[in-house]
Amino acid sequence: MIFDKFFKLAFLISIALPGTSQMLYEFESSQQEKRFYLLISEIRCPKCTSGSIASSDAPVSRDLKNKVYELVLSGATDQEIKFYVSDRFGDFSDYRPSMEGANYFLWFSPFAVFILLIIIFSIKRRV
Amino acid sequence: MNMFLRSLIVLLPVLILVFFAKILLVDDEIKFKDFESKNFPEFSLNDLNGDPVRAQSLDGIKLVNVWASWCITCLVEHPFLTKLSGQNFKIIGLNYKDSNAKAVAWLEKHGSPFLFSIYDPRGDLAFDLGVTGAPETFLIIDRKIVAHIQGEMTQKKWDAIFAPKIFKARQPS
Repeated sequence: MIFDKFFKLAFLISIALPGTSQMLYEFESSQQEKRFYLLISEIRCPKCTSGSIASSDAPVSRDLKNKVYELVLSGATDQEIKFYVSDRFGDFSDYRPSMEGANYFLWFSPFAVFILLIIIFSIKRRV
Repeated sequence: MNMFLRSLIVLLPVLILVFFAKILLVDDEIKFKDFESKNFPEFSLNDLNGDPVRAQSLDGIKLVNVWASWCITCLVEHPFLTKLSGQNFKIIGLNYKDSNAKAVAWLEKHGSPFLFSIYDPRGDLAFDLGVTGAPETFLIIDRKIVAHIQGEMTQKKWDAIFAPKIFKARQPS
């Protein structure tokens, strides 16, 4: 009786397993592999509120990962890959915004406000 | 000078608050309003009948609606699209990651608001368009994408984003 249940369970698990298998990425070098995993951790999942495509299993994230994988293997540079993605999914897609244009505000405004506050408080002390 | 600095301590946080409040309070649906127009990506795909889709079909003012038979929200926006096609707006479907037979059956069952549907089973064209799921809708004017919304097309989004651009495009220059 118990064996019967065991075999039923084993059968169910065996048919459920293929559903959980993920696409495995194989690389020509460990450097390519490192770049791939760094890139997918720096590209934002366009379908999620917040999270990289590495952390997401949304269909569009899977497509993006496959595309990044293809591009890494084809020898594209990190910058080319990020441009390829942001060209389609917007600047929003890059978790490390490039230092140009309006992004300077993004990068430096916290420091500017911080320095301003220090100046204000130090002057106030002295008075 | 001292007075100025003191007022700055009060004013600065208020200014920062106002700056971010503007971003936070803006309607989520309207955030796609600022859109840099770009060329419609090149593609070579067939329509659901198996005939190749020509790039010329994107001339003039066209809507491209990403849909699929498995997509529930597509069914929700379907009456609105039907209304638009009744008002003589030209809508091209982009059938996304679907099977041809299911897509055709869906259109037969619910009616087609589309001139025709581009069949994109792997989502290649959709990827180049930056589609994150279905439904999404693009406004194309002479093969240029000038607006893009994600999710259900509603009267509100139509009035806020699409209608002004169509109105502008129809003005004789």
